[in-house]
Amino acid sequence: MRGLATLFGRVVSRFGEPYAGRDVEHRCAARAVSAERPRATTPKRVKAVRMRAVRLILGSVVVLSLVGGCADDEQAVTTVLRVANWGGAQVESEFVKLERRLREEFEALHPGVRVQVEQIPGDGQYAPKLLMMHVTGSVPDVISLDASSAAVFINNNVLRDLTPFVERDTKFDLGDYFENVANIARRGERLYAIPLDFTPMVMYYNKKLFDAAGVPYPRAGWTCADFLETAKGLTVRSDDSRKALAQYGVNFENVMPFWVPWLWTGGGDVLDPSGKKASGYLDGPETTRAMRFLVDLMTKHRVAPHLKESAAAGVDLFRDERAAMQLKGHWMMIDYQADGIDFGVVGLPTNTGRRVTVIYETGLSITSKSDYPELAWQYIKFMTSKDVQVRRVASGLAISANKEAAAQYAGDPIEDAFIEEVAYARPPWGATVERYPFIEELGREMMEDILYSDGELPVEEALRQTAKLIDAALAEP
Amino acid sequence: MAALRANNWRGYVFVAPATLYLALFAFFPMVFAGYMSLHRWHLLKEDHPFVGLANFTTMLTDPFFRNAIYNTLIYVVFSVPLGVVTSLAVAALVAQRLRGVGVFRTLYYIPAVGSKVAISMVWIWILLPEVGLINASLKWLGGEGTRNFLAEPGWAMAALVAMSLGIGLGPRMIIFLAGIQSVPQTYYEAAALDGCTAWKRFRHVTLPLLAPTTLFVVITTTIASFQLFTEVYMMTRGGPRRTTDVVLYHIYKEAWQKFEVGMASAMSYVLFAMILIVALLQFRIMRRGLGEGAAA
Repeated sequence: MRGLATLFGRVVSRFGEPYAGRDVEHRCAARAVSAERPRATTPKRVKAVRMRAVRLILGSVVVLSLVGGCADDEQAVTTVLRVANWGGAQVESEFVKLERRLREEFEALHPGVRVQVEQIPGDGQYAPKLLMMHVTGSVPDVISLDASSAAVFINNNVLRDLTPFVERDTKFDLGDYFENVANIARRGERLYAIPLDFTPMVMYYNKKLFDAAGVPYPRAGWTCADFLETAKGLTVRSDDSRKALAQYGVNFENVMPFWVPWLWTGGGDVLDPSGKKASGYLDGPETTRAMRFLVDLMTKHRVAPHLKESAAAGVDLFRDERAAMQLKGHWMMIDYQADGIDFGVVGLPTNTGRRVTVIYETGLSITSKSDYPELAWQYIKFMTSKDVQVRRVASGLAISANKEAAAQYAGDPIEDAFIEEVAYARPPWGATVERYPFIEELGREMMEDILYSDGELPVEEALRQTAKLIDAALAEP
Repeated sequence: MAALRANNWRGYVFVAPATLYLALFAFFPMVFAGYMSLHRWHLLKEDHPFVGLANFTTMLTDPFFRNAIYNTLIYVVFSVPLGVVTSLAVAALVAQRLRGVGVFRTLYYIPAVGSKVAISMVWIWILLPEVGLINASLKWLGGEGTRNFLAEPGWAMAALVAMSLGIGLGPRMIIFLAGIQSVPQTYYEAAALDGCTAWKRFRHVTLPLLAPTTLFVVITTTIASFQLFTEVYMMTRGGPRRTTDVVLYHIYKEAWQKFEVGMASAMSYVLFAMILIVALLQFRIMRRGLGEGAAA
């Protein structure tokens, strides 16, 4: 079966990647043929259509055999290393080209090996699909592990403990990686992923809008009161009170992974330290204060867009230069630069004197059912090595978890500000709590409930209700 | 008998592929889901303890599941009558012998050919504030044009109902059209001679004779409405404020966010029971209400 899969994989790969688009084209062609058949009324027409179908099939066979013939010139592929990644068929970007080159380099180092990337598209589909593949025994050898949904993989024996590989491999040093980033996938002595890249969430600010308003740029260590003053100074009201604001001090998106650090900077949290319950934490006094501060930005101070307003705008207000600040990760830099926004970044303001933010990270893991763990380890080692990392993070997508690779960008004030935040960054709850993606959904709904109730639903009441719901969800065995 | 049986084996060979297919991919999963529904079954956990009807009792006291049932019923109550009436009206219109009526029949059918995902994407655009088709039109007519249909409770469900009218129109219209065209012309001639107006001809000739067709359309539309999923998944994800969290979407979340496939199976059985009961009720009521037409 593997042989057949290999052959098929080879044939498909020769079409060049991404092949998904071509596949659809082929299927469409086939469908067009079959769809026309019932409509054909005269025997002549039927014959013509049939001829076309035959020609199509014959043509494909010829093409396929030619392609197969070409492949025979190369070293015979004996092993296919399957690698899962999120995202659909990709447009041919520089980054996609680089990733392909890196795979080819790895294949050149390991004759007979072919790396087969399996892209899993769809928002929220990645974890379910891989887990289903795990249950049915068809899971790829290497998977990208998203810190936000890592717990469900780690807790259910989907992944292999990498400690034996780390200990055995004299050419690999875990000390090369940021310690708190590497520890995201650690459970005691066991380690389930080698970190690839990551980003702390930081506050981006638009220098042009700050200059125009005459507001000084924010500096690390600022307080929530400083933040509010800054946001007020950057808010521009329009003449028509019914209309949306001309400019907001800060943008707000109701995506819980984006706003959860606000609860932490106020000293609160979603769950208790063990991650087993929300009561007493999500509805605790610190979290309530922090949440009220966040909600007040939209409802009382009106320095951030209400959900209605941002939805009505239909665009990212920060990218549209109608919001002066935005809490986001490193990945947005590519877009902001492309938009020509003159931005700076700074850590989150804090009320507790302790700086904190959330870190979102991708690691590489070997699945427990992989047939080629040793080869998978070589692949992970290759992808996380300094040289590969330096080339990979040049895209601006994220920060390399490899300290040496990340250090290549030292001196750039923006990169330095990101690196500075690493020391204060916490992993997301999803790294340790299996049901956390579900809790994030509850959090989003809670925020909607509060904001759309127009003050009818007090913040503390919403937090109390949601804490109960989370407790119930976590209590199920 | 023996000869008959001897002749029959070829028949079994012919039905075997379809039977096997159905057994493997329809009947077995159904039975197995029933088995799972009686267990506490987490997709990734090794043991699946038997819990009897606990899944069912838990679910019925779960406010979220009840909310999902409520939302589904709201959707069914609005989309089925509106859908049946609009498609009947359109069918009556395109049943006329008019020049170019074929073009209209095609146009009305087109949405049914598209994939629901693609249509949902188009509707997201239609419903956008400011720039969407509806809001831009309202603005052009002097309105505000800022309503964000998919983000406001109430409006989101209304938008899904409106969308269902367009998507389901084609197939329903075709069935009604076939029904209307099978009404013998002589009845209309007789009615016209008796002095019936066009409306009366429709009311007293077409409608009663269409009863079996109507029953079929109502039941299939109801079943389809209970199974609303794609549009919710693509457009609202159950929001805003859970107002479009319908049963099927809720089942999906139970299975693929919480990985509780046992509970999800139990919920599927409840959905199945709901559809069965409603369909049977419709069948009985309409048979009685529409008299001999339905019996035909």
